[in-house]
Amino acid sequence: MLLAAWWITAPVPLTAGDLPQHRPDAAAGERIFWAGGCASCHATPVDGKRAKGEDKLRLGGGMALESPYGIFRVPNISPHEQGIGGWSMLDFVNAMQRGVSPQGRHYYPAFPYASYAKMATSDVMDLKAFLDTLPPVEGRVGSHELGFPWSIDRGLGAWKRLYLDSGPVIEVDAAEPQLAAGRALVEGVGHCGECHTPRNRLGALQAGRWLAGAPNPEGKGRIPNITPAGKDIGSWSAADIAYYLDSGFTPDFDTVGGSMVAVQENLAKLSAADRAAIAAYLKAIPAVE
Amino acid sequence: MTIRKLQLACIASALSLASLALAGDDPVEHRHELMESTGKAAKPIGQMLKGEADFDAAVVMASLETFSEVSANFGDLFPAGSENGKDSKAAPAIWEDRAGFDAALAKWQDAVAAAIDAAPATVEDTKAALGPVFNACKGCHDSYRLEDD
Repeated sequence: MLLAAWWITAPVPLTAGDLPQHRPDAAAGERIFWAGGCASCHATPVDGKRAKGEDKLRLGGGMALESPYGIFRVPNISPHEQGIGGWSMLDFVNAMQRGVSPQGRHYYPAFPYASYAKMATSDVMDLKAFLDTLPPVEGRVGSHELGFPWSIDRGLGAWKRLYLDSGPVIEVDAAEPQLAAGRALVEGVGHCGECHTPRNRLGALQAGRWLAGAPNPEGKGRIPNITPAGKDIGSWSAADIAYYLDSGFTPDFDTVGGSMVAVQENLAKLSAADRAAIAAYLKAIPAVE
Repeated sequence: MTIRKLQLACIASALSLASLALAGDDPVEHRHELMESTGKAAKPIGQMLKGEADFDAAVVMASLETFSEVSANFGDLFPAGSENGKDSKAAPAIWEDRAGFDAALAKWQDAVAAAIDAAPATVEDTKAALGPVFNACKGCHDSYRLEDD
């Protein structure tokens, strides 16, 4: 019994042979960086405020994320020895897609590896190549402050066996490459579901209510439903969605607000084709009231 | 562009300004009306930029004039005591950091004045001229407007 529990909760890292034959491309990785919004959590805050402009590229961590489980402290992922400077490609892919640290510990899914597990591993490799070009930032952040039993990270092994899945959430028309591209951005690196999809009691995303809106993880209010049944974007055209992601303006010319401000600013750095793909996917997913 | 469309644009602009004057004495209501008319003026520009409407320089200019009117008066509508009006989304930062708020408003006024001077004649010109204007909207909302619940 104990043995079974030990096995069930053990980390399951990839091995070097699992990496695809792919020459990492830093320029392609920059697109992944903005699509994933890495800076929104990992950029070191400036004077207690969200980093802007060039400071978004200083990924020293330090932001505190308050959650129902306790406080998560976002780590340094700059290419400094106190960040991910000494990491191998395999270390990085295991962190991103298996939620396992180079020391073999489980990361908490506040780091959204359950979404990143759905990425193409070649994209993850490109991302590391880009991160390696950024300024090294000194400093190690403090430990998370979590209540029991969440403080026992070993239990996450069982969580991962239940919920870590590299397959897509929504089936899309295979004849439409734009939908597959949009799905990769939304379900994978963009990790939109992490805020827009409600969670079950164990904190896993509910596939049956995919992107149907959820309580705001950062406090009051709700994160909106962005399925075709959403009261806001349900009536928007695909062009409206793409324009919103580009400019930050709704069709009624209200501006983007809250935590979506940073997301929109990052997505504005993608190509128009990427934003159109996101919009096409959002129009194609099931409408959930 | 036809004379008729120009007339319509002017009438729409005049009506929106008239509604501002009629909004009454309540500064919360008044500033809400001003933001509503600003959004209404911006919408046709957005439709042109999205390719959903034909480019029309006169409509762009009429909208810019609305922005100009609104931005000139908007700062007067946040007197002490108007912090917590009905459904107000004005952030406490407006009163705590009045200089910052005034600077954000000045950025909007300057961007609008520059766009009017540029008198954009194509969609591309409009996109370039309106970029700083729209950024001013976002910048101010980001710092000085409360989020929806």
